[in-house]
Amino acid sequence: MRRLFLLAIPAILSCGGGGESAPSRKTIIDSRDTYDPRSMDPALSTDVPTGRAVTYIFDGLTRFTADGKVVPGLAKSWEVSADGITYTFHLRSGVKFHDGRPFSSKNVIATFQRVLDPKTKGGRGWPLYPIRGAEDFAASKATRITGIAALDDSTVVITLKEPFSIFPKLLAMPVTSIVPDNPPADFGQKPVGTGPWKFVEWRHDDYLRFAKNPDYFDGAPKSDSLMARIIPEASTATAEFEAGNVDVFSVPDEAGRSWQADPGKNKLLTSAPALRFWYVGINTTRGPLKEVRVRQALNYAVDIRTMLSAVMAGRGTVASGVIPPTLGGAVPSGNGYTHDVAKAKQLLAAAGYPNGIDVDLWAATTDQSPRLAQTIQANLAEAGIRANIKQRDASSVREAARNGQADLALKEWWADYPDAENFLYPLLHSKNKGAGGNVSYYSNPHFDALVDQAHREQDESKRNLLYTEADKLQYDDAPMIYLFFYKDMYAVQPWIKGFTVPAVFNGQRWTDVTISK
Amino acid sequence: MFAFIVRRLLLSIPTLFGVLVVVFLLLNVAPGDPVQEMVGERADSATIARLRKELRLDEPLLSQFTHYAGGVLRGDFGNSYITQRPIMADIRERFPKTLLLAGSAMFLASVLGITLGVLSARNPGGWFDRLGLGIAYLGISFPVYWVGLILILVFAVILKWLPPSGYGGIKYLILPAFALGSRSIAFLARVTRSAMLDVLGGDFVRTARAKGLTERVVIVRHALRNALIPIITVLGLDFGYYLTGSILTETIFSWPGLGRYVVNAITRRDLPAIQGSVLFLSVVFVMVNLLTDLAYAKADPRVAYS
Repeated sequence: MRRLFLLAIPAILSCGGGGESAPSRKTIIDSRDTYDPRSMDPALSTDVPTGRAVTYIFDGLTRFTADGKVVPGLAKSWEVSADGITYTFHLRSGVKFHDGRPFSSKNVIATFQRVLDPKTKGGRGWPLYPIRGAEDFAASKATRITGIAALDDSTVVITLKEPFSIFPKLLAMPVTSIVPDNPPADFGQKPVGTGPWKFVEWRHDDYLRFAKNPDYFDGAPKSDSLMARIIPEASTATAEFEAGNVDVFSVPDEAGRSWQADPGKNKLLTSAPALRFWYVGINTTRGPLKEVRVRQALNYAVDIRTMLSAVMAGRGTVASGVIPPTLGGAVPSGNGYTHDVAKAKQLLAAAGYPNGIDVDLWAATTDQSPRLAQTIQANLAEAGIRANIKQRDASSVREAARNGQADLALKEWWADYPDAENFLYPLLHSKNKGAGGNVSYYSNPHFDALVDQAHREQDESKRNLLYTEADKLQYDDAPMIYLFFYKDMYAVQPWIKGFTVPAVFNGQRWTDVTISK
Repeated sequence: MFAFIVRRLLLSIPTLFGVLVVVFLLLNVAPGDPVQEMVGERADSATIARLRKELRLDEPLLSQFTHYAGGVLRGDFGNSYITQRPIMADIRERFPKTLLLAGSAMFLASVLGITLGVLSARNPGGWFDRLGLGIAYLGISFPVYWVGLILILVFAVILKWLPPSGYGGIKYLILPAFALGSRSIAFLARVTRSAMLDVLGGDFVRTARAKGLTERVVIVRHALRNALIPIITVLGLDFGYYLTGSILTETIFSWPGLGRYVVNAITRRDLPAIQGSVLFLSVVFVMVNLLTDLAYAKADPRVAYS
């Protein structure tokens, strides 16, 4: 079914250009959400549409800029103790929630407790686990989080379990956004925050509407209102963009080439490297895959350049590790496994599998997964690796990979915050086997030690060196087939000014974006 | 008649209970885990275990079922695991939109399909009949999403007469209703045509014509009325198709109805939402079947209920 949808896209694209003249509306309309958000409650923001909307309505102590920097949010500044354990956050004074209640340090403590409270049923407490006593509180072993205290109305002191230098980045995640006291039961439907946009209306599966908060502490948004339309089908979003009804549109992978080829559309395109990593998790505890040479053979067997060009319309950079090239510590692209079938066969033979091996390759039915899986299967076959594709819905693939039932699992990882740690630690640290993100079940004490050391390292350049070392180390162990880092491609209407493609999914808050006549 | 309705309603109770049991068991053997969907891409096992406990997913199947069935008996479908909203409120919000879409599609299909069928039957083999046959073939062969995309392309992107997608006034309704009804138009046209041909050959039609009635009266009052039974059957059967077809139509036209709700619930393994929607739709089916049977009696006095 999906395939047929896609066949129709070029037909739609080939007809007519978008409206050239600015529309009469004053509302900025985004079309990137493909499904209804889970809630507007920050504590429940475990998916992308929720995270985006929460970031419009709320503020964290810190926030991301569109280009992925971490800047002050509700905290105007912070200090770290010499041992890296104690963070003192100085909060902005005079900030009010949209309903007029004042923001103070008490809200920070109550918010963090609420995120961790099992009764909230949010499911994403981990960004706060570095705080001393947070995990005990989440497990109901304590009645308060011992590591957080309010010195006065505008100062919060947070004590960590151990030094964790990138902690401020985690406080910019949607889930740690600050909510007012005693949120009512329907808070997720009627959210009240401090952010640049006030919540106006949510028509489920249809749209979200926001109005500017004229009193926003960081300067009111330049436009009066913002709408996020929820459009599940890419072809429909294309039509809406062509009709001039939406302002920003994420160009589907398969349509990228035709948009670039059309001069009228090409000039609307803007693109930037995303913190998204495509890979095939190799379960290092299963059969022949325990053997490092077999895993390396898998990497030599795949032809990523051709795959990128043929399936992804060139939208990506070949990965030579798990750290995206835009982040500190990244290993430059092109240093590592190259497409070399003879080498793959040789490694397999040396590992004792001259006749190749049989593996299951799990892949979801969404986006480009089926086509990528088929390409990988064809590549592997050339090297004598017989991959049996198990195409399932995303939920089943995730479950199989997390439970260690998949030999190979085609996956995509979206960063929560712009740091190499967000790739190395969840995807490969032995603490995160399974649901934590390490579907390779990779376990290397040396790698773990390097990542742990980087966690504690205060100096950014030293930390980046540790990241690089860890990345190179695991790359040689090949617990995954390293595919590519994705590149976002957006089409933006000519009347939209001030839009930049965000590095992190919730990095664009539309405060500087305007519709110009 | 009244006794018939009561008996049919009573008989539907075991059917619905069966639906409840089957859906519950199926969802429990199906792969995928609602808690993993809740926590997203990164989580720790302690959190997952706590959530399982909060949601009673760690309890034996029987106790989960009695808890759920008990809620349903009290008219409470529970809350969504994912969004935490009450399922009933979600269904109340979306079902009217699906009903509006399905009803409009049905209306379009009845008007266009029956008209096409009647006109085709007036002169079998004539140019209009052949044209109708062609339209019917196309309507039956094209899948609803393809028709939907073509409609968007032509009427929204090229001609710019109608909005491509969304929910609102009548201009948002036309394209999705037509897309959803397209297959039914074709079906109804064919069924009406053959039923009409059967009837038009009957003695009473000849009598009617012999009495000097106008062709219009003969066709509408005498022939069509007698051809209605198979048409009602098709309409009743098609209602199920409208509800399932609405899943695709709603996706393509970003129509915020129950079809998309179910699809979202399935992809996120939101068990109470899936169970609640399926149960609700089953009730709707039972009602529609009952209404269809009652419509037979209205159309044909020979049909009696006891």
